[in-house]
Amino acid sequence: MTEIAGYLHLDRWPPQPGLVFWLALTLVSGALLGGAVFRFLGLPRIVGYSAAGMVVAALGVGLSDGQLHGTDRLIVDLAMALLLFELGSRVSLRWLRVNPALLLTSAAESLLTFGAVFAAMRWYGLELHLAMAGAALFGVSAGAVIGRVATEFKTAGQVTERAIVLSALNTLYAVLLLKLVIGWLHVDQRSDWIEGVALPVYTFVGSVLVAGLLASLVGWVLRRFDLKEENAVLLLLGLVLLALTTARMFALSTLLVPLLAGVMLRNASDRPCIWPRHFGTAGGVLVLMLFVIVGAAWSFEALAAGIAVALLLLGVRALTKSLVLVGLARVSGIDARQGFALAMCLTPVSATSLILLAELQATHPTIAAPLTPVLLAMLAVMALLGPVLVQGGLRIAGEHRPPERTTSQQKSALEQTT
Amino acid sequence: MTISRGPSLERFADSRSLSLGVELELQIVNQHDYDLTPAAKDLLRLMGKYKLPGNVTPEITESMIELCTGVCDNHTQVLSQLTETRDALVACAAQLNVGLCGGGTHAFQDWSQRRIFDKPRFHEVAALYGYLSKQFTIFGQHVHIGCPGPDQALVLLHGLSRFIPHLIALSASSPFVQGTDTGFQSARLNSVFAFPLSGRAPFVNRWDDFLVYFDKMARTGVVRSMKDFYWDIRPKPEFGTIEVRVLDTPLTIEKAAALAGYIQCLARWLRIEKPFEPQEDDYLPYTFNRFQACRFGLDGTFVDPSTGEHRRLRDDIEASLQALEIHAMELGAEDALRYLRKELAGAGNDASWLRGVHAREQLLPEVVRQQCRRWAGDSP
Repeated sequence: MTEIAGYLHLDRWPPQPGLVFWLALTLVSGALLGGAVFRFLGLPRIVGYSAAGMVVAALGVGLSDGQLHGTDRLIVDLAMALLLFELGSRVSLRWLRVNPALLLTSAAESLLTFGAVFAAMRWYGLELHLAMAGAALFGVSAGAVIGRVATEFKTAGQVTERAIVLSALNTLYAVLLLKLVIGWLHVDQRSDWIEGVALPVYTFVGSVLVAGLLASLVGWVLRRFDLKEENAVLLLLGLVLLALTTARMFALSTLLVPLLAGVMLRNASDRPCIWPRHFGTAGGVLVLMLFVIVGAAWSFEALAAGIAVALLLLGVRALTKSLVLVGLARVSGIDARQGFALAMCLTPVSATSLILLAELQATHPTIAAPLTPVLLAMLAVMALLGPVLVQGGLRIAGEHRPPERTTSQQKSALEQTT
Repeated sequence: MTISRGPSLERFADSRSLSLGVELELQIVNQHDYDLTPAAKDLLRLMGKYKLPGNVTPEITESMIELCTGVCDNHTQVLSQLTETRDALVACAAQLNVGLCGGGTHAFQDWSQRRIFDKPRFHEVAALYGYLSKQFTIFGQHVHIGCPGPDQALVLLHGLSRFIPHLIALSASSPFVQGTDTGFQSARLNSVFAFPLSGRAPFVNRWDDFLVYFDKMARTGVVRSMKDFYWDIRPKPEFGTIEVRVLDTPLTIEKAAALAGYIQCLARWLRIEKPFEPQEDDYLPYTFNRFQACRFGLDGTFVDPSTGEHRRLRDDIEASLQALEIHAMELGAEDALRYLRKELAGAGNDASWLRGVHAREQLLPEVVRQQCRRWAGDSP
């Protein structure tokens, strides 16, 4: 066999598929499954992407340790950057000023969720440090899933708008909370005040600076170039990726930079900022891979170890969000049904938590380790359910476009009319 | 004579002669990319807490809302009622982060994306007309003029028909459709033409004759009520008015009130001075004039139906403003005519303004954003 291989000029036997092979295979299987669930079940395509990832993990080659390494981390960061930038660019500060009840809703929804998760973890008997870090990790909502499902189905309306704004703000709070917790851990565990204060400040200020630079460059491109040309879109994509890699180089927050850049861009001028969703096909590929990778972030062992806490926390999250969002619905200008739909949209857990875990892992591996199986179990539960919940919420709110009426229905309606 | 077993017209209600009512169909857009957005239900819920002189109601798609005044006496009253309702609507829209704007069409919406408002009649219309009903995502201003009786209403209807081109040219605000410049100043009316039973009303001057016509039409099964006629001007027996329906929704309430004032003056002039006797032959150049007004606006050609003379619409409008002066004084509509004169002498109609903004900004969503600002009264 080896002789034949040598004769055929194959370098190795058995043949070694490289990284690109696996990436391409991911793309093919993700796209096939995504297309299938959309066409036959009417579900968001990302359900199929995640399913592809879950299969990979079930075969034992997923992210069973929950840690994002090398290419995985890069792809997740890049794709999340695109999604968070899009999410941030929908946050209108003027809206929050005109409708302060919405800002109150956002603060209450996030803080009470963090608090409820913390309390539930303490009640379950987990130690203080774990519960504090867990509040951020397990309290954050899935901006990626909301942004993706909303753009995929072109939903529009109050629930879509508010889910986007609330999840963007929630992500912002969670990142800040985790930075504060990490800072506090430095102080508490090592009495290192300088690192405890300087690190969060450095991350925050640095992220704001890079985000500001990105926002102004993107603003410049949007004013100067015609976005109908693919070239200009590629330029935008390049800028976002460049800012993100800069953030990685300087150990800044890869969540904060794109999110803040989006918010700054949106609020710097009134002129509408419009680009093709996910910055064209290249961004679409990244987003597909993101959901495959997140789908692969589980294992049977982690599921067994973490499922009890995971279910408890998912339940607490859902309950807190429902109570707050239904309770504050009327004052902020929507009805209770829309409030409940909004809670459904904000329930899923996704890649944001995984990135927060990676950040915690970098400085405090001993705290990250026991939280990992819980997060993996949550992700396993929410990988397929999450996008469906968002879709369901938008459907309840009547913002999911109903399928076109069939011809026979039209005919019968026509007969009734005449 | 009775030929009908089907639906028949209701009695022509009593109304005060020359009283005024205005309806405006508005666009609801998001403030992200300024595409149309379904928020009518949310807006209506929030509007519930306001006590308004007129009314705010849903329209066929959820990204459209209609406001109307109560029965008004004059231009000033129309303007003050519109201001009150506009301010309430703008406040509610801000709470929902949506924008409201005038304009006969949305500049770049894709009609296949529109959702039909959940109300049986709207679903029936949608089922009957298919894509036309979504293409009917167009926004108009309707002006009601009170008539002392049905016969007078028909006489006024045919008299006003001569000024349909004038009204189209003055109000035109729909140059863009689905992302392209149509070349028309009022492209909205092209969508109306696609409907059966659009255009002019039949030339009958007596209500009894009109009833015969209606019964004949009803017997064919083509129509069931006045609502099935999409005429440029139609009688509205329910209100005791005639309803002028060719106007694009203007970009500002000031313009909407000015147009209503102009129509009221025309009606008074026609009724009191009887400057010409309406006849069937008035309609010979009707569609030509109407096309010229839609396509070229104020610079279109107007063919005088009685003399056959060709004039620029702009000049004929100037002439009409001269003739109306005394009636404007009687009706307290001087401000209305002054507003229109200023527009004629200056920037032109709303379609020209929209094209100007687009030439400067090269981005249709930005054009819509500025439309929203004008509607809210934020910019000149």
